[in-house]
Amino acid sequence: MASPSTPAEAAAAPVAAPTPTAGRRPLSERIAGLVFVAPGVVWLAIFFLAPLAIILVVSLGSRDAANHITLANPSLDNYLRATRPEYLPAFANSLRYAGITTILSILIGYPIAYWISRYGGSRKILLLILVMLPFWTSYLIRTYAWMIILRDNGVLNSILLTLGVISDPIPILNSDFAVILGMTYGFLPFAILPMYVSIDRLDGHLVEAARDLFASGRGAFLHVTLPLTMPGIVAAALLTFIPAIGDYVTPDLLGGAQTTTIAKIIQVLFTSGRDWPYGSALGFLLMVVTLGGTLLALRTLRREVIG
Amino acid sequence: MTGRPGDPTDALIERELERYLVERRMTRRQLLEAVTALGAAVALAPIVAACTNAGLAPSAAPSTGPSAAPPSIAPSEVAVASATPEPTPVPSPEKELFVYNWDAYIGADTVTKFQDQTGIQVHYDKFPDADTQMTKLRSDGKGGGYDVSYPASTELPSLISDGVVLKLDKSLIPNVSNLRPEWTNPAYDPGNAYSIPNYWWTTGYAWDPAKVPGNQTTWDALFDPASKGHIGMLDDQREVFAVAGFKLGIDPNTTDEAQLDQMLNLLEQQKPLLRKYTDDDIGDMTSGNLWISHAWSGDWYQMIADKPNIKYVIPTTGAVRGNDTLVVLSGAPHPIAAQLWINFNLDPQISAANTNYIGYMGPNAAAEQYIDDAIKGDPRLNPPQAVVDKLVELIFLPPADLDKYTQRWNALRA
Repeated sequence: MASPSTPAEAAAAPVAAPTPTAGRRPLSERIAGLVFVAPGVVWLAIFFLAPLAIILVVSLGSRDAANHITLANPSLDNYLRATRPEYLPAFANSLRYAGITTILSILIGYPIAYWISRYGGSRKILLLILVMLPFWTSYLIRTYAWMIILRDNGVLNSILLTLGVISDPIPILNSDFAVILGMTYGFLPFAILPMYVSIDRLDGHLVEAARDLFASGRGAFLHVTLPLTMPGIVAAALLTFIPAIGDYVTPDLLGGAQTTTIAKIIQVLFTSGRDWPYGSALGFLLMVVTLGGTLLALRTLRREVIG
Repeated sequence: MTGRPGDPTDALIERELERYLVERRMTRRQLLEAVTALGAAVALAPIVAACTNAGLAPSAAPSTGPSAAPPSIAPSEVAVASATPEPTPVPSPEKELFVYNWDAYIGADTVTKFQDQTGIQVHYDKFPDADTQMTKLRSDGKGGGYDVSYPASTELPSLISDGVVLKLDKSLIPNVSNLRPEWTNPAYDPGNAYSIPNYWWTTGYAWDPAKVPGNQTTWDALFDPASKGHIGMLDDQREVFAVAGFKLGIDPNTTDEAQLDQMLNLLEQQKPLLRKYTDDDIGDMTSGNLWISHAWSGDWYQMIADKPNIKYVIPTTGAVRGNDTLVVLSGAPHPIAAQLWINFNLDPQISAANTNYIGYMGPNAAAEQYIDDAIKGDPRLNPPQAVVDKLVELIFLPPADLDKYTQRWNALRA
């Protein structure tokens, strides 16, 4: 994140502090800027743009009789096939899980972030480490742990049976509930951290000023704290929603026959379907839709909310 | 490594290294291989972890099989060899073997016994499902760097025509004479030129009689609303469509669009009753998540180790028979060790130990006397010839025909 901000600073600097060379920085500084930004650009080119280009090229290809990818007749056929309505339920599932996960992560994460920032005192760092502690264990293993907790003879059902709340195990695993629980659990730290930064940076004097001007506690929160921390909430929403919409592991392990997501459909095309061009097209399309939707949402939010 | 030539520290390290190699009777080449293999293993660990049951690895890491180790040796080995002469001769051409197989698929001692007998170090990688296996073996068109793998027989024709597997040198596999006559010339690989049959099985279904009463003989129980929410089907498109075919009296290898639509229609009616399309029929049955599940015969054998009352049936209205094979990959870094491994697994006692562990019968006539009666005498694991004759094998479909299944499978799943 540090590298992309460098050109922006470089562009803004001449206006802020005019130099004797009439708006042009010394050559050495410009070279330094390039040196700083180069690793990031190279990294993105190799690990983001190049794979993306490969996916794009493959998505325009087709397969010969021996199932080898050929680019002899590049066409958009795969994209036309990818828009078939039969996949809409899976796409709707992906959107629904990602949307609910995002909302829950913010609703649960905001109070935690607020509490750590306002009442964490000298233990703030410790509390933030606790938020990140789950990352010390592989996400896959933690998801398997949820399977052990939620399955019919699992921890949760055993407790409910012992307490006499239920007389027969209730199916919890392989349901919408299990998927949303697992995803919210997994993405919550991604939501807490940006909201914490945003709340922690908020100048407490502004809230005091609002109270001095007879705002109620609730009023000060709604009219001062919440709008000023909105950038953190938006960042949290993006960091949750974007990975959640392509999440494959959680719905596959905690979900069931009725919870198929678009990521699973793409996986089938790449594996048992052996149709990499089609899978690439569907994957690329999903990315474009996600990116487009995100940019649109950001523009609206910037106008309506952030101001 | 980074010090200037003549640096006293470097000289000391060089001497120590030399001494270490001589003591361990290791050549520089072997040391390099070991270091590179370790590096590859470390680099692979997160990917392997991520792909367990996820099936993401094949697309994420097409070229990062253990192949990353052996091929990358070549240039550095040449460089080192020309710099200093080899201190000790290489004791044997191949001291390692990369095996790519299912988890818990061979006898518990098979790897150790092979290592003890041959001195070859076995690196044993596992895949969660056949799709992951195929995607990885085909990632570089020659086996993804593995020496030996266990593809299903239905994959063989295309693996052979695509050059993914190596023609076997039968002089290295004398135990091939142990095969039953009916396994010496299979249709998928005439004369077993490229593969040796390993296990064979049936696909039926398992159920918990405490939850699903009655003695099942047809596929109907998997479509019974009484078990709604506790029925599982295998997460395998061909196997699932085959069940619909058996129920409708349609050939499970059909490529007729109208018949496939009929099958899809039946499966769409079944879907609301299902809890999941499972990758883990064993775990789902023993944990009670599923009361009844489409299952492979050997999986049932592993279920009853945990939950002895679970039953299994090969429906009389038709069922799938499959077998897998042992192959040497065309890009195998250690083809001789690979064929020694195949020969070792055809040894009567080793073959029987494998069968006794997993419950799948093998094609090995000489092994029969060592197989547990619980397996040999159980018609569900070792069905009589009259039943075997009625079983159907799924055939390999060319892309255009496979697409007909994939498109409907995705429509069903979505």
